[in-house]
Amino acid sequence: MRAVTKKRFFAFLVFAVLVLAGIAFLAPFAWMVSTSLKPLSETMTLPPRWIPSTIQWRNYPDAIAAMGDFWRYTGNTVFLCVMTVIGTVASSALAAYGFSRIEWRGRDTVFLVLLATMMIPFPVIMVPIYSLFKSLGWIGSFKPLWVPSFFASAFNVFLLRQFFLTLPKDMSEAARIDGCSEIQIFLRIILPLSKSALLVVALFQFMATWNDFLGPLIFLTEQKDFTLALGLQSFQSQNGGTAWHQLMAASTLVVLPVMALFFFTQRAFVEGIASTGGKN
Amino acid sequence: MAFPPWLRRCWMPAVFFAALCSCSDAGSGKGAGRVVIKYWEKWTGFEADAMRAVVDDFNAGQNRILVEYSSVSQIDRRLMLATSGGVPPDVAGIWSKSLPVYAENNALTPLDKFASEGGVSSDRYIDVFWRMCNYRGHLWALPTTPGSLALIWNKKLFREAGLDPERPPQSIAELEQFNEKLVKRRPDGSLASIGFLPAEPGWWNEIWGWWFGGELWDGRATITANSPENIAAFQWIESYPRRFGSRDLLALRDGFGNFASPQNPFFTGRVAMVLQGPWIYNFIKNFAPPDFEWGVAPFPSIDPARFRNITQVESDLLVIPAGAKHPKEAFEFIKYVNSQKPMEKLCLGQRKFSPLRECSDEFFQKHPNPRIGEFLALAKSPNARFVPQLTVWTLYSNDMTQAFGRVWTGKAGAGEALDEVQRHVQQAFDHQQKRWDRISGTLTKEWDKP
Amino acid sequence: MNRGDQRDLRLGLLFISPWIIGFLALCVYPLLSSLFFSMCDYSVLSPAVFVGADNYREMLFDPIFWRSVYNTIFFAAFAIPLGLLMSLSLAILLNFDLPGKGIFRTVFFLPSLVPMVCLAVLWQWMLNGDVGLVNNMLKPVFHGINGVLGTQFSPPNWLQEARYAKWGIIFTGLWGVGHAVVIYLAGLQGVPRHLYESADIDGANFWHKTWHITLPVLSPVIYFNTIMGLIGAFQVFAVPYVMTGGGDGPERSLLFMATYLYQNAFDYWNMGYACTIGVALFLLILALTYAATKLSGRHVHYEGK
Repeated sequence: MRAVTKKRFFAFLVFAVLVLAGIAFLAPFAWMVSTSLKPLSETMTLPPRWIPSTIQWRNYPDAIAAMGDFWRYTGNTVFLCVMTVIGTVASSALAAYGFSRIEWRGRDTVFLVLLATMMIPFPVIMVPIYSLFKSLGWIGSFKPLWVPSFFASAFNVFLLRQFFLTLPKDMSEAARIDGCSEIQIFLRIILPLSKSALLVVALFQFMATWNDFLGPLIFLTEQKDFTLALGLQSFQSQNGGTAWHQLMAASTLVVLPVMALFFFTQRAFVEGIASTGGKN
Repeated sequence: MAFPPWLRRCWMPAVFFAALCSCSDAGSGKGAGRVVIKYWEKWTGFEADAMRAVVDDFNAGQNRILVEYSSVSQIDRRLMLATSGGVPPDVAGIWSKSLPVYAENNALTPLDKFASEGGVSSDRYIDVFWRMCNYRGHLWALPTTPGSLALIWNKKLFREAGLDPERPPQSIAELEQFNEKLVKRRPDGSLASIGFLPAEPGWWNEIWGWWFGGELWDGRATITANSPENIAAFQWIESYPRRFGSRDLLALRDGFGNFASPQNPFFTGRVAMVLQGPWIYNFIKNFAPPDFEWGVAPFPSIDPARFRNITQVESDLLVIPAGAKHPKEAFEFIKYVNSQKPMEKLCLGQRKFSPLRECSDEFFQKHPNPRIGEFLALAKSPNARFVPQLTVWTLYSNDMTQAFGRVWTGKAGAGEALDEVQRHVQQAFDHQQKRWDRISGTLTKEWDKP
Repeated sequence: MNRGDQRDLRLGLLFISPWIIGFLALCVYPLLSSLFFSMCDYSVLSPAVFVGADNYREMLFDPIFWRSVYNTIFFAAFAIPLGLLMSLSLAILLNFDLPGKGIFRTVFFLPSLVPMVCLAVLWQWMLNGDVGLVNNMLKPVFHGINGVLGTQFSPPNWLQEARYAKWGIIFTGLWGVGHAVVIYLAGLQGVPRHLYESADIDGANFWHKTWHITLPVLSPVIYFNTIMGLIGAFQVFAVPYVMTGGGDGPERSLLFMATYLYQNAFDYWNMGYACTIGVALFLLILALTYAATKLSGRHVHYEGK
C-alpha cells in the first residue's frame, strides 16, 4: 500500500512540475497576444495587466499599415518558402538516394565529408558567398536565397539517407533484376514509401525559410523585396520599440502561419524528428 | 510520378510564380522611353516634401530622365549594403561628415569630369561648401541643404537681468559675465535657470576647442585632440561643475523637458543662450511661446580680435554611388538641383539657406526665418569650417562626447580625458592611414581615369 | 573495378551530383576564399590586397575581438549545459505515463518554431526593466528575499545592463529547447524496458535508474545534441542583433563573434578582417568539437554499433 501511494505521490509531483513548466512556456505567447490587443497606454502599466480593458482589434490593421508593404513581404516570403522547399526536397532526395541505395566505392567516406560540412558555421563562409553572388550580379535579387537550396544541404541529405536506409534492400534488388533503371526505382519505389520523411524535410525547410533573417539581411537591398522577418525587424528599429502594441500584433501575424502549419502536420513533424534525428 | 499529393498540386503554380518573380528582378531601365534613375534620400515629413517638389519640377521639365524619389530609413547602412552588392541607387543623399568614409572605400563615383563638362565649379558655391565636397583631390558630391551654428539668445531674459537685449556676448569672458548675471537660484540654493549651459543640447561636443583657437587635426598625420587650445576649452567646460556645483547642474538638467516640445529648456527660460543652427526657427515657431524674442550672433571666442565669426557648417550632399547604372543622367539631376531657382525652392521648403553664392532677394523676402541672413553670413565667413575629413570621424566624435561627459561629471580632468581621446584616435587614424597607403595607388589610378 | 562497380560508381555520383556542385561552390570554394581573404585587405569595392599575417596580428591585439570571444564563450558555457539540463529533465518527466502527454509535448515544442525575429522582439519586450513580464514575475520573489534578508535587491534592467544582458539572451534561448526535448523523448523510447524492470527488481529508485540506465543509453543522443548546440551557440547573431537594433549592447556585452564579423564585413567595409574572425570562429568550433568528442569517448555508449 505504501509503495502505491508513494508512486502516486511521485506521479502527482511530476505532473505538477510539468504543468508549471507548461504555463511558463505558454506565458510568453499569451503575453504577446495580450499586448497586441491593448491600447498603447495599457502596455506600460504597472503591475502589468493580462486582460486589456478594451480589446483593440484595430492594432492589427494599424500594424499592417504602419509596416508599409506587409502583404508584399508576405508574398515574397511565401515565394521563397515554396522555391526552397521544392529545391530542397528534390535535391536532398536525389543525393540521399545516392548515399544509401546504391553501393559505390568511397561512398561512406564521401558521406563522412558531408557530415563534416554540417559543422561549418554560416558566418565563416558568409563573406566569400556574398562576394560570389556579387560577381554573379545576384545581390539585390531573390536568387541567393533560393538557388542554393537546389544543391542539397547536408542536414536534409543526412535525414533522408537515414530514412532510406530503413527500407529493405531486397526491394531495390528485385526491381534491378526486373530491369528497372535506378531513376525508376527512385521515383516509383523509394519516393512513394518515403512520404512522411519527405514531408518532414519540406516542413523543416519551410520553417527555416520563413524564419531566415541573416540571408535576407545581406542579400536583399530594396525595401519592397524584404521578407516578413526582415520587414518586422526594420519596423521595430524604425519605431525604436515604442509602439509595442503594434509590434506585438505584427509579430503575432508573422508567427501565426508557422503555428497553423504545425497544427495541421503535427504528427508527421514530431514523429519525423523522432525517427530520424539523433540516431547515429 | 509518385510525388505526394500536396507536392503534385502545387508545383505548377510555384514554378509559374517563380518565373513571374524572376522576371521582375530585371528591374529598372526604361520607363516609357525615359531613363529611370533611383534617388535614395533620408528625409521625411516637410523636408521630404520640399525635395519631392523639386524632383517633380525636374521630371516635368524634360522628357529624357525620370527621377524616382524614395525615403529610405537607416540610409547609411542600406546605401553601404546596396553599393557593396553592386546594386546602388543612381543618386543618394548623405551627410557631409560621412563623405570621407564612402570616398575612401571606393563607394562613390568621382564627379570631376561631370562637373567640368557641365560647367559646375567652385565659383558657383560659397567657398566652404565646395571644399566640403572635395576629398583627396577629387570632387565627390554637391551640396543640397546646409546649416551653420550660431549663438541664439533670449532677449527677454537679457532685459530682465539688466543686460542690453541687443548686445550678445563678444567673448568667452563676457559670456561668463552674462552667465553670472543670468543665473537664478531658488531659495533652497538649487538652480532654477542658467545663462549658458554647454551640455544643452550637447550635440556638438567635439568642436568647443575651435572657439579657443584649437584644431582637431593638423591636416596631415597628427590628431590634435589634446592640443593646449583644446585643453583650454575643456577646462572652461570643467569650470561649470566647479562654479555651479555638479549636483545642482544635474538636478537642473533633470528638469528639462523634451527638445521638440514647449518644455524645451530654451523656450521655458531655463537656459538663456544656446549654440544652435537655422532649424531652431522651426522649433521656435512650433513650440515656443508667441512672445518669444530671440537673437542670432556668432558664438563668441576666447579672443575676439584673433578669432572671429567661427562657426561649424555641415550640409546634406548628393552623391553618385560607385556602380550606379546611369551616372550621366544622375549628374544631370544633381546639377539641376544645384541651379539657383531649384536650390532656392528646396532650401526655402526646408527653411534653410542656400549654399550657392548667388542668392535672390526674393529668397530672403519669402523666407519664414527672419534671421536666416545671419546664419548665411556666418557660412560665408573665412572662419567657417567643417569637421575634419577623417574616415575615423565617427570614432573621434564618440570619444570626444565620452570625454565631455567625464569632464562634466568630474570623473576626469580636462587634460586626462583629452589625452585618452588623443591616444585612441591617433591609433585608429594610423591604422586607417596604413590601409590607405596600401590601396591608394590602385584607387587613385581608377579615379583619375578619363 | 568490374563493370557492375563502375556502373554503380557512375550512378552514385550522378545522384549526388547536386550535392557535389553545392559542396564545391558553397563549401570548398568559400572556405578556401575565406582563408585567402583573411590574409587580405578587402572591401568588395576595391580589389583585394594581400597583406600576409597582418590581419591575424591585428586580431590578436584587438581588445574588441577578445571581448567578442569572451561574450561568445560565456554564452555557450551557460546556454548549452542549461539547455541540456532543461530539455533532458523535461523529456524524462514527459516520459512518465501521464495524462495529456501529447498536449505537453506540443506546448514545449511550440516556442522552438517561432521565427527568430519575433522571438527577439517578444523577449526584448518581456525583458524590459520596468514593464516587462519577467521582472514583474520576479518582483514578488525579490520582495520576499528583501523582506527576509533586509536587502534592497531588485531585478535588473536585463538588456540595458552590461552584467545581465547576456543572461537575457540565455533565457530567451532556453525558451526554444522544445525541439531537443522531442529528440530526447524519441531516444527515451528506445531504452529497453527490461533494463528498467531488472533495476526495479533490484530495488533501484528513480535517481539510480536515471543515472545508470537512462543516461548511458541516451548518451549518443546527448552527444549529438550537444555538438549541434555548440555549433548553434557559437553562431548566435539574429537575436542580439534585433534586440540591440544592430548594435553591441551596453559596454559591448552583446557583441558576439558572429556580430563582430558582420559589423566588420557590412558596417566597416573590412571584409578581409571579417574573414579573419571567421577563421578564428571556425577553429574555435573545431577545437571544442574535438574536445567534446574526446571527452565523450569514455561516456558515450553506442548500442550494437
